[in-house]
Order: sequence, then C-alpha cells, then structure tokens
Amino acid sequence: MTVAPATVKATEVRLGDRLRTRSGAELTVTRIDADFMGRADMLAFVEDSEEQWFKMPALRDSDVELVRDDAVG
Amino acid sequence: MVVADGLTGIDGGRIDPAVLDGKAVLVVNVASKCGLTPQYEGLERLQERYGAAGFTVLGVPCNQFAGQEPGTPEEIQRFCSTTYGASFPLTEKLEVNGRHRHPLYEWLTAVADTDGRAGEVEWNFEKFLISPAGEIVARFRPQVEPDDDQVIRAIERVLP
Repeated sequence: MTVAPATVKATEVRLGDRLRTRSGAELTVTRIDADFMGRADMLAFVEDSEEQWFKMPALRDSDVELVRDDAVG
Repeated sequence: MVVADGLTGIDGGRIDPAVLDGKAVLVVNVASKCGLTPQYEGLERLQERYGAAGFTVLGVPCNQFAGQEPGTPEEIQRFCSTTYGASFPLTEKLEVNGRHRHPLYEWLTAVADTDGRAGEVEWNFEKFLISPAGEIVARFRPQVEPDDDQVIRAIERVLP
C-alpha cells in the first residue's frame, strides 16, 4: 500500500477525502463550509475529529491535493 | 480572573497572573505565516498606546488554521520580536477549536460576535476583549484590523 497524491478541484472534494495543505499538514474532511470569511468564491475544509481540529480554506476554482490510498502489489 | 488561570507562556513558564489581572485584555490567536500576520503591527501599536493605561494584548499562537503557525516556541518568539517588535505576552501554542480546545477558548467562544455568531474561531487573528472585571465584552472576527475604530472604542470603554 502506497500513498499517491492527486489533484482535484476544490468543489469536487467530498466528506472523508484526505487533503494535504501546502505546508504538508493533512486533514480528513469531516465538514465543508461555504463562503469562507464571507467570500462566496471560497470554501473551507474542516477536520473535526478526536485526532485533530484543522481548517484549510481554498478558492472554489482552485486545485487541492488529495491523498489517496492506492493498493500496489 | 479566568483568563489568567493556568496559562503557560511561550517560554514554557507560567504567565504571571499580575500581567493580566485588573487589565483590559485583547486575546488574539496569532500565526506567523498567515496573510493577516501583518496585524501584529496594529496589535503592537495598541500595546504601545494603551499598555500604560491598564491594557494588554495576549497573543495565542495556534497551528489549527492551515498549519500557519508551525514553528517551535523559540521560532515563534523570535519571529514576533524581530519582525514586528511585539512586546506583549504570548502563550504557549494552544488549540482554540475542537474537542481539545483550551479552557480559555471554551470560555471565549461561547460569546457571539456583532453578528450574533458564537462558536468556533473562524481563522487566525480573531480578537476577544476582556474587561478588567473579567467579562468578555467584545468579539471581533479576523478581518477587523486591530486599529479599527470599533476595536479602539471598545478598548477605551473598558480601560480601568
């Protein structure tokens, strides 16, 4: 099992997806907030779990890094 | 005063309650790598303007927002003092949202902002003003600059 990065549009992210920020931190999305900081062109991905609370905003039309578990061999 | 109870400073030592007790305190969750980080300048101006009148900023480093406060305590402290000349106290790095949020923020986030919204801290540089009597008197979202008129008026109303 290896972890392969992929890029998806921010609007295509779904609950349960695991994302990696530019700083290298990762979060598993448990909530998606619209209109981050009142901006209709932004949204925010939130992990609110026992492991961590973490928020990552993104422009709606931007690409974000998705961390996928891909079975190999 | 609740705000001073059990707070650890960025240097790892306990924050002396005398630093906060009987003062108007502006609690701000800070981050070193955020687009709002230049707000440090405005926060330091508030500290210089009102520090002798019974006011202090209390900076709370937090890495929960896009990982924008990743540094060690030494790195955070050095960044604040050398880049912005910040003279106000900083706590250790705290969690301000979620199941493990610090009790200080359990207390603070129960208070609504001017739009009537309580709950989670929205982003870096959200501000809570505590009166010298220990009451939360105002909450300002991150977009409100430290030297915004509404912040200034609120501070001046509660100075001891």
